[in-house]
Amino acid sequence: MIQLRDVHKSFDVRDRKTRTKKRVDAVQGISLQVQPGEIYGLLGPNGAGKTTSLRMIAGLMKPDQGSIEVCGLDTRTQGEEVRGRLAYLATDMQVYERFTPREQLRIFGEMQGVEPATAERRGVHLLERLGLADFADVKMTTFSTGQKQKVNIARALLHDPKAVIFDEPTTGLDVLTAKTELDLLKIMKSEGRAVIVCTHALPMAEEICDRIGIIFDGKLHGDAPPRELLRSRGARSLDEVFFQLAGESEAAIA
Amino acid sequence: MRGAWLVMKKEFLELSKDRKTLFFMFVMPLILYPALFGMMSKMHERDESQRKGKPSRIHVVDPSSTLIPILQADAKDFQLVPDPGEDMQKALRDKKLDLSLEVPASAADDLKAQRTIKVTAFYNKSEDDSTEAFSRLDEMLKAQRDIWVKARLQEAKAPADLAAPTAIVERDASDETLEKQKLLGILVPYIVLIAMFGPIMGQGSGMTAGERERGTLMSLLSTRIPRSQIALGKLMALFALGVLGMASNVLAISFSANSMIGHPAAPAGAAAQASSSLLQVASPGTLGLMFLVLVPVALVMVSFVLTVGIRAKTQREAATALMPGMFVIVVLGVFSMSPGLENMTVIHFVPIINASMSIREMFGQQFNWGHYLLAIGINSALAAIFTYVAAKTLDREDVLFKS
Repeated sequence: MIQLRDVHKSFDVRDRKTRTKKRVDAVQGISLQVQPGEIYGLLGPNGAGKTTSLRMIAGLMKPDQGSIEVCGLDTRTQGEEVRGRLAYLATDMQVYERFTPREQLRIFGEMQGVEPATAERRGVHLLERLGLADFADVKMTTFSTGQKQKVNIARALLHDPKAVIFDEPTTGLDVLTAKTELDLLKIMKSEGRAVIVCTHALPMAEEICDRIGIIFDGKLHGDAPPRELLRSRGARSLDEVFFQLAGESEAAIA
Repeated sequence: MRGAWLVMKKEFLELSKDRKTLFFMFVMPLILYPALFGMMSKMHERDESQRKGKPSRIHVVDPSSTLIPILQADAKDFQLVPDPGEDMQKALRDKKLDLSLEVPASAADDLKAQRTIKVTAFYNKSEDDSTEAFSRLDEMLKAQRDIWVKARLQEAKAPADLAAPTAIVERDASDETLEKQKLLGILVPYIVLIAMFGPIMGQGSGMTAGERERGTLMSLLSTRIPRSQIALGKLMALFALGVLGMASNVLAISFSANSMIGHPAAPAGAAAQASSSLLQVASPGTLGLMFLVLVPVALVMVSFVLTVGIRAKTQREAATALMPGMFVIVVLGVFSMSPGLENMTVIHFVPIINASMSIREMFGQQFNWGHYLLAIGINSALAAIFTYVAAKTLDREDVLFKS
């Protein structure tokens, strides 16, 4: 369903001190595969290359090298078709606050090629499932962070995507809202969707993910079921694995 | 293309929720222009009537009392004031009097001897009251000269017509409508350029950098709509806003046209009366041609704003970056009002300003198809270049994802 083969991505970064450009390798040869009905947890510290990887999967960025396929479509050449089959939700995505949830879902439904009647029906269903049905016609300027995030989730899932990418979905959310999201991820898994979750909440990842990959310095480490990962590393928790990898990474740089 | 329409629809739906912006963009000019120009016209009328109603303050040095009695007899127009006791130039500048008149001591003898009396008038040409005083004095002296000449002719037993070998009958051939058209031809492009760029700049920075700052641009990019169509949709929305802003301002100018061209202002509420004023001087055909020549100009502005806006991280940064553009538009607008520009061939090759010149020619009944098509061609080419750059910019990862 989602397949990355030896993906590389680098950026030019301007060094303000020396006034020179330097090349930063954000992603270095990542390969992974996520099957339908599977939740894949992509973990790693800030700046490790997680968000860049997800943006490339969503067809928002193009890999410099390697290939990415979503539902059999090449993200490099078929970016629009990929986004029509994929839900992408990131932390830097916000709602149009002047709209009501119903208005936002209607217009984004149209943008994703969903028939207006279907978009309306699915929108109402998603808002009900997320506990926002009573707020469907309320302007979102007064919404809490959690409520806005729920509308964003509904927006992302409106076109019934086969693949789902959530980048740090529980950041800034209270425990109850976070639980609603986790339950939703489990439902999506049961519906046969391929899900990639990128998170810093390691216990949550351990709980819901079928497989976990940890990115350090643009490279993928692990890529195994949580228990197998713990066993292979002789660790008791993902936190411990994380610290081990951080140590190895620092040693490699030194 | 459907994606572009949807993006445009989204932009308009969003704008429709912002009533304050709608008010300031479309309703405010309709209130502001008639009020502003009406007020200016009223103030001008009041100044005029006050100036005409009060006598000019004149200091007269006339040892032989030749002109003093005549001036005193016309108390409505002249008020004799004492010597200000200081430098006359300074006294005139300080408005202590409006005019100073020096009549030679020999004036009475010169009059008797039928010689020319040479009087000297000091006045300040830069002051309306002083100029009015000179004009009144000149009129009075002309009338007095006629009386004296007639008396001399009578004394010499010569016919009165001897001093008037010719007489002129004035018939004004000026076309009042054409005068109005010429004036509007100078004013309208200036106002229209600014009126178009204002909303395009304001909304354009919100649609680009504002979306990025609010975190909604990423949602838009994550849909299946291609980026080129997102750029096109925003371009169409901005263009429509610019045109609507322009239409609103042209309508407001129409309401204010009577006041602007120095006629009694129509009451702000008398829309039917006022709205006919622009149509009196500009036919629907002229307005249509004006609209068409402004279309590529609006596209130049829109694509420029999009290109700059997409590159900015925040709405404030975009507004700051676009401000020099506003300055350029104002300067171009002021420049386009300069007299004599129509005689410069090169001006018809300068983008934006060539459209202003074409409108000026249209209103002045000197329409030139060559200049008109040149303006459309040059501005369309520039708009195409900017649109290409805007679309390419929206496709650049380093621009879209810079932090």
